[in-house]
Amino acid sequence: MVSILACCANGSGTSLMMAMTLEKVIKTQGYKVDRTNHCSISEGKQIAGNYDIVLCPLNFVSMFSAAADNGAKVIGLRNVMSQNEMTEKLENCGIDLRS
Amino acid sequence: MLKEFVEKKHCNFIEEAADWQDAIRKCCQPLVADGTVTENYAEEIIACVNLYGPYMVLMPGVAMPHSQQCGDNVRGTAISFMKTEKPVFFDENDPAMYANLFFTLASDNPEKHLDNMQQLSVILSSEDLIAELMQVTNEEELLALAVRSGL
Repeated sequence: MVSILACCANGSGTSLMMAMTLEKVIKTQGYKVDRTNHCSISEGKQIAGNYDIVLCPLNFVSMFSAAADNGAKVIGLRNVMSQNEMTEKLENCGIDLRS
Repeated sequence: MLKEFVEKKHCNFIEEAADWQDAIRKCCQPLVADGTVTENYAEEIIACVNLYGPYMVLMPGVAMPHSQQCGDNVRGTAISFMKTEKPVFFDENDPAMYANLFFTLASDNPEKHLDNMQQLSVILSSEDLIAELMQVTNEEELLALAVRSGL
């Protein structure tokens, strides 16, 4: 089972929208995800290491280099409302979400 | 939610903004007018963009300006809508980072905010509705779209 964190600057706007898109994607694709969360960048930097995948706006990717070094897959999204973009990037991130 | 924008006077329509900072100040005006946020809320949002980049542009054409939930400059929970005829560019190096539609968030109540965001996500998930919002130029047209879409 996989854990996914959605992160933006404030934790209540963009990341919340990402979390809503993520819920739809998980449901549509039948992904096996046991834990999702959304939060601000300051909290995200501290807890990102506890997640398999971190979703964030494209320009936030570099802020998660420490989490990426520790093995988390950091995925930058251009359109946080797009289920297609999120699905495609999750499919290609190298983590098996179906078993 | 579209109907609520009109009823609560949480909407404005402008030709253009001088720059993205000007756009942020203008999209906050309906929320300042009824005391949902203080005038400094716009400056808070501008500081966020300066610090983190234009992450508030959710997709090409659509921005969702917001700052800290329950922050000092927030007195209520609401979303305000602004439409600009000319696109506002947030990043001179990235032409996709522009917006004509602004959905400005304010929240001092996480539960009510979540409800607002769920309604907003229904709107933003519909490409057809976004295309229609791009055509709206005044309150009457927004209200007509609200009736037509049932939102």
